[in-house]
Amino acid sequence: MHDPGSGRMAGRKLGLAAKESSLVQYARAEPSAFAEMLGGLIEANVRAHPGKRKDFDVLVARVGIWVTDIDEGVTLAFDAGRLTIYNGLEPERTITIRAEAETVMSLSNLKIGPLGLPVYHDEVGRGVALKLLRRKLRIDGLLPNIATLNRVTRIFSVH
Amino acid sequence: MSVKFGSDDWAKQFKDEVNKSSAYKAAAKGWKWTVGLVVEAEPDKNFPESLGVVMDLYDGEARDIKVGPASDAQKCDFVITAPYSRWKQVSKKELDATKGMLQGKLKLKGDLPTIVRYTKASQEMTECTTRVPVEWPDES
Repeated sequence: MHDPGSGRMAGRKLGLAAKESSLVQYARAEPSAFAEMLGGLIEANVRAHPGKRKDFDVLVARVGIWVTDIDEGVTLAFDAGRLTIYNGLEPERTITIRAEAETVMSLSNLKIGPLGLPVYHDEVGRGVALKLLRRKLRIDGLLPNIATLNRVTRIFSVH
Repeated sequence: MSVKFGSDDWAKQFKDEVNKSSAYKAAAKGWKWTVGLVVEAEPDKNFPESLGVVMDLYDGEARDIKVGPASDAQKCDFVITAPYSRWKQVSKKELDATKGMLQGKLKLKGDLPTIVRYTKASQEMTECTTRVPVEWPDES
């Protein structure tokens, strides 16, 4: 059972003002290390890049990420400019990504091309595409939600 | 010949391994931040005091790697902290550093997008630690 009232702010350690630190919150008073890492990464990306902020401000979706080799996961509930991160997989997810830790890190290393689409023709992109083909990377809900996945990838990408 | 974990000889061999690695050199191109490793004390493992490893890494090269007090390592741009036995697991390839960070077994402080951008470099850096033959204090 989750407890949305006891969220923690990703920017807490940086001592940001309440308004500044309200982009990401955690459903649990004790988010997992993985949840904190993703929250910190997304918040830093969104704050640093106006394009990512634009995506973040319109995205409404529930994205599950399950790391198969550590048996841990999170649900990212994007709600038009706010993100709540739950430990574990919550119901009613739009997309669920399942992959090993290394592949999850590769996803955030995907470059974004000129049309805002992830680049799959460089080394990282080819690696991700190959894992998708070999089903080492599984994305449930991919086909009806490609635009959402691209938007999530843009927010997630460190490039 | 094996060297004592956390000794100056260990730091020197670690630095040599990093500078020998063409994979690290390629993956760390553009890196310009210091990295501190904090090895927390575990007296019951014959490792009574925390120590710090300060790594001056620049553009694919290890300019300097020094062992000193944990407080020195904590001043670096990126700081990775874990108890002695976790670092030993990493060095023996029993724990993957990326997985360890996602599980909170290794705690990372620093700009996350930057460290994610250099995931491959940090993996190769970990590989370099595994190439140094080590004499562990709880095995001697």
